[in-house]
Amino acid sequence: MRKVAIIGSGPSGCFTAQGILKARPDWTVDVYDTLPVPYGLVRYGVAADHQGTKAITRQFERIFERQGARFFGNVTLGRDVTLEALRAAYDAVVLATGLSGDRDHGLGRAEGVIGAGQLTRALYDHPDAGRLPDVRGEVIVLGNGNVAVDVLRLLAKTEAELQDSDLGAEASAWLAGRPIDGLTILGRSPAAAARFDPVMIRELGRLQGVSIRVADLPEAGGDKLIEALDGLDGLATGPRPVTFRFGCRPAGIDTDAAGRIRALRVEGPRGPEVLACDTLITAIGFCCDGSLGRDALMAAAEDAEAGRIAAGLYAVGWFRRGPRGTIPENRAESLAVAQRIVEEVEAAPPRAGAGAGILPAGHEVVDWAGWKRLDAHELAAAIAGRCRTKITTRAGMLTLCREKEDAR
Amino acid sequence: MNIVILYGTETGNAEMLAEDIQADLQADHAVEVANLSDFDPGDFDPERLYLIVSSTYGDGELPASAQPFGAAMRAQAPDLSGVSFGLFGLGDSEYETFNQGSLHLQELMEAAGAALLGERVVHDASGSDLAEDLALPWARAVVALAETRLGAAA
Repeated sequence: MRKVAIIGSGPSGCFTAQGILKARPDWTVDVYDTLPVPYGLVRYGVAADHQGTKAITRQFERIFERQGARFFGNVTLGRDVTLEALRAAYDAVVLATGLSGDRDHGLGRAEGVIGAGQLTRALYDHPDAGRLPDVRGEVIVLGNGNVAVDVLRLLAKTEAELQDSDLGAEASAWLAGRPIDGLTILGRSPAAAARFDPVMIRELGRLQGVSIRVADLPEAGGDKLIEALDGLDGLATGPRPVTFRFGCRPAGIDTDAAGRIRALRVEGPRGPEVLACDTLITAIGFCCDGSLGRDALMAAAEDAEAGRIAAGLYAVGWFRRGPRGTIPENRAESLAVAQRIVEEVEAAPPRAGAGAGILPAGHEVVDWAGWKRLDAHELAAAIAGRCRTKITTRAGMLTLCREKEDAR
Repeated sequence: MNIVILYGTETGNAEMLAEDIQADLQADHAVEVANLSDFDPGDFDPERLYLIVSSTYGDGELPASAQPFGAAMRAQAPDLSGVSFGLFGLGDSEYETFNQGSLHLQELMEAAGAALLGERVVHDASGSDLAEDLALPWARAVVALAETRLGAAA
């Protein structure tokens, strides 16, 4: 029987585990996560008001509850266990840790300039997130992908529109209390090159408290995205101004004496412009936060395109391909890499090393039963109008994961 | 009864549901599960009952695994008169294109002469129901309709 370790329990890691166990139900598949909780991006990146998308976790639960995968939460690769030790203990190791760093915008640091990942991690109660930032005044969201739309939508929604999300009490109060004068979503490219999903643009047509203007649009000419954007223009359901701009390349920021951003200078479609800006949220993609030496590993990969770094070492998801592609695209890729792993592992001699003992003595691992205790607690603790109340610290998570044993 | 469950999926949710329906029906029936991506419209057999489970993707399109099937249906224009099917859709009412994928499939099947048994039932991922709580009663009802129909024909 062969053993595979998957590092990261987000969608790409889970789909890889699912694919391997579907093909080889008797294999041991161990899924590690640095957090005590599973699901990565689904818990901390998919928008809090997109619970339908998060329903994918019902598939992932089955990987652990029916397909036999084991969960090892609260284990950090490089700190609690080395990649070398894992590779010695398993026939294959799959890196699926994603990309969580906000890509640098090159505009320099200033008060009020915030990365979208930094903001959403704080909103979604990630234990490593900083405090909720000071978002106020004229807010510009820089970026033309779905993350930019998520940020815009959350900032534009009224409390009533956040019903049934899993936003916590603090994030909800923060959203309700933002002194925002206007929201602008700014694309560096022309509208035709924007990477929004048309379906996510149409979703904005249901916002209840906004007045939307879409500028810099070309003729639709049958383009679904342009049609969707055109359909938003003029929507007036409430007082909050929302503006779409395209073809505006940022040239620099102006700050006040206190060091806070006050303006964004851009090269617009009709020449230079100075846009009032008290908060700039950059949603221009993600990069490696430096962990695991990802960029060097992938640069040296034997076959990066097919997810093979070296014999017995693989990569999937955003760790492999960079910050592009939706969950379905990454699923297809993970299932393909899973197939390749099965073939290559079976063609190689079994590894002799045993998995036991690769973690430091006394290290507290959260297993599946521990996560389910925490999950039940979070669901039961949901406040009015919410579906879950996340525990926000690692220590708090660990306490609730082990609660049952302590009670005995 | 000889049943084939065909699924069209993007995220795997429809595949999981197809397997749940198979598990529920297989004590009493011969049940196969196939991805629509592996199914040719020329293989429809009037002797079998087809239960189709499909999500919606993107701007109301067929999910990726159903797209080759959709293209083949349009290209081959098969005569499916005598073929019976049930249809269950998966969607998310957050989006305007809620459940158009299964509606496309219904239109393709009916245009080819196949007969829809019962109602097309749709599940809303943003609603409070679990998909299987709607899909298992749906599947049993469609099977019962098919059995009645066969009994009447016999």
